[in-house]
Amino acid sequence: MSARLVLADLDVRHATDGGPNPRRLLSGVSLAVEPGEFVALVGSSGSGKTLTAMSCLRLLPPNLEIAGGSIRLGDLDLTRATEAELNKVRGGRLGMLFQQPKRMFNPNRTIGSHLKEPLRLHAGLRGAKARARAVELLEEVGFADPLRGIRSHPHQLSGGMAQRAMTALALAGQPDMLLADEPTSALDRVLERQVLQLLDRERRERGLGILYITHNLATVAAYADRVLVMNAGSIVEAGPAGELLTRPATDYARDLLAAAQLAPVSRRRPASTEREVLVMDKVGKHFGPKRARSALENVSLTLRRGEILGVLGQSGSGKSTLAKAIVGLEAPSTGTITRRLDGAAAHLPTAVQLVFQEPHSAFDPRLTLRASLAAPLRPHRSLTPAQRDERIATAIKEVELDAGLLDRRPGQCSGGQLQRATIARALLLEPQVLICDEATSALDALTQRTILNLLLRLQREHHLSLIVVSHDMDVVRYMCDRVAVLLAGRVVEVAETRDFFAAPQHPHSQALVGASIPCRADGLWTMLDARTHAARAGLRGEAPEG
Amino acid sequence: MLQFITKRTATLLAAVAVSSFAVFLIPYVTPGDPVRKIIRSRVAGDAIDASSVQALAQNLGLNESLATQYFRWLGNFFSGDMGLSYVSRTPVVEQVLPALAVTLSLVAMSLGLAAAVALPLGIISGLRPGSMPDKAITGVTQALIAMPEYWVAPVLVLVFALKLPVLPTAGWNDLSSAVLPVFTLALRPISFFTSAVRAGIIDAAAADHVPAARARGLSHAQSIIRHVIPNGMVPLSTLFAVWFAGLLGGSVIVEVIFAVPGMGRLLFDAVINSDIPLAQGGVVVVVALAVGVTTLADFVHRLISPTVGGSLA
Repeated sequence: MSARLVLADLDVRHATDGGPNPRRLLSGVSLAVEPGEFVALVGSSGSGKTLTAMSCLRLLPPNLEIAGGSIRLGDLDLTRATEAELNKVRGGRLGMLFQQPKRMFNPNRTIGSHLKEPLRLHAGLRGAKARARAVELLEEVGFADPLRGIRSHPHQLSGGMAQRAMTALALAGQPDMLLADEPTSALDRVLERQVLQLLDRERRERGLGILYITHNLATVAAYADRVLVMNAGSIVEAGPAGELLTRPATDYARDLLAAAQLAPVSRRRPASTEREVLVMDKVGKHFGPKRARSALENVSLTLRRGEILGVLGQSGSGKSTLAKAIVGLEAPSTGTITRRLDGAAAHLPTAVQLVFQEPHSAFDPRLTLRASLAAPLRPHRSLTPAQRDERIATAIKEVELDAGLLDRRPGQCSGGQLQRATIARALLLEPQVLICDEATSALDALTQRTILNLLLRLQREHHLSLIVVSHDMDVVRYMCDRVAVLLAGRVVEVAETRDFFAAPQHPHSQALVGASIPCRADGLWTMLDARTHAARAGLRGEAPEG
Repeated sequence: MLQFITKRTATLLAAVAVSSFAVFLIPYVTPGDPVRKIIRSRVAGDAIDASSVQALAQNLGLNESLATQYFRWLGNFFSGDMGLSYVSRTPVVEQVLPALAVTLSLVAMSLGLAAAVALPLGIISGLRPGSMPDKAITGVTQALIAMPEYWVAPVLVLVFALKLPVLPTAGWNDLSSAVLPVFTLALRPISFFTSAVRAGIIDAAAADHVPAARARGLSHAQSIIRHVIPNGMVPLSTLFAVWFAGLLGGSVIVEVIFAVPGMGRLLFDAVINSDIPLAQGGVVVVVALAVGVTTLADFVHRLISPTVGGSLA
């Protein structure tokens, strides 16, 4: 038990790079995590955070290699360890939590079958004993029905449950040290908090050391002891959480912090006399045998011209179904969605466009961005190839994307670049209404902020009406004029944004607003103060237990 | 699952009903009056007397509506009365069942051999795509596609009948007589199965959950045995069924060349001799079995791959 993880001068580079100056992906990374310590590693995407974690497990992709430095877990130098030693360490003393839990399970095997692997390898448990322990683990991570849990297949779990199962899996080998690679980035705030509380409990109860990789500074502020800031493969700043977050020394850390605080902008709100461009009347959507499962129930909402409407809800509340119904990708089972647009293109289905959540899956991986962008222009208009190119060039310029990227494929672009391309693709068809379905959830804080500002600018310049679908309170607060809250397919509250955050009416809204503190908008400093007080009182992050 | 079973069984019955109706119509759409055909086939060459035509039609129920005739025919058919063969004058069922048994064992042995060969080859290929073994395996299996049965079979007959008389080249008596037809029939499925397994393994190995399993402490070999190979083999179950269904009636060439008394041979003879009842019986049995096998494979696929059409609950 209780060994520290120490990285000293770690270099990682492409194995194929010869030459005098091989490009380093990680250079001179040094860090230490003590038993029972929560260390946060923050940085924008592509800064080398995940590579650092995968180096510790010695599970780098085959084209990368550790070129120098050492990684020690207790007395063992992992850079020199044999494969057999490493297999004992992986999942044993060194656990790992991954970012997208659902993709980290074998879809053909049950959760129980997954849990039995580390139990057999690291705890020597088999058969009924392993099964009993698996049930126990699921219970510990908060499965209401752990017996059903071990029989479930991954696709039957919600995102939050899958991340808990993944946590159980990481804890099964009784690790000393846990590497957590953005385990909550895909989860909403309430679920994120549950996972973090779980980790925090393990840390306090049995001295689990945690290296927590994230781009979410709110998480860092609430739980971390120390923060390491990573940029372009190096650690550029390190220090105690309170200090670093209040007085960052480098510009990069300052940018990260600034991006994390989405201060509401002063936008000229549309007059309440503006025309309604979209009217949803008692929209319902039902799935499954006999349409028994309802995703939407009696949803009535309106969108005025030039307005930004936020649709808030947890995973599974029907947000995406609503977005698809508005665009016309799903026909509502009941009710009507009426468009009252103007201009020549008003009758076209393309007048309402959707910006998707996962930019990487919103593009055909085999096509260049240029081909993907040209595709929607083909069927609708009689454009010459030259005109088409010109339209694409204009759209690309609007979203501030380098024209050189047009000849790349999605795999060669970053998430932020692709999200800009998705927006450009939506703009090409000159929409009047734009639906953004969690358009920035997969991005890091810096990129998220630039995309949100881009959307705001486009909204202003093109007189767009926007619907922002999100689970992120801060995004909604930053962007929206009005907020609608979805709970299990029903709209439980609609209010002006300011009123909503000041005094949420529905109990569910109150829970959402409550969970969003610490809030990036203005709560960071308040929260840091609260933390200092709590620390003084001998308590940590969460409410005191025991 | 129950809903899935009901739905699939309904589809299965519908497919059999439609195809059997088409088969039932064969004598009606072929030129000539069936009654006259029957009489002519019995009293070869003589002039046909109109009253006996009328009597026979009455007797056979041919004056009733098409639907009534169809359902009577179908009822008889599935209670084992498939009519009499025009040629041998024996009940069709007595010819169809033994032929079916022969073809079933021929196809089962061929596909069993194909799977037994293709699985290891596909796994070796798929685990290291682009390596020398992969190139060799892919090359050879692709070449097999270019060797059609009507070329392979006569070559084997020539070799083993004339030059190397260690294996019988005709008939279906003991296991040794099965070797050449089984081998010939297995060649193309070997090729298709190998590339399916190879592709399946490549996909399965690229999945994110494989490094995740390594991070739990599974060795490279363990992660492949538990997470790559089983997942990579899933596509084979469907392919296997499609080939099984296809070969039931599609083993004609091999059966004719090696003189195997199976369904292919039976249908071939029935067509050559215009033996309509025999052809009808053979086709309906093959169709029913093919549809049944495909449905069964869907069930199996669903069992081993829980995400297929799975509920979101």
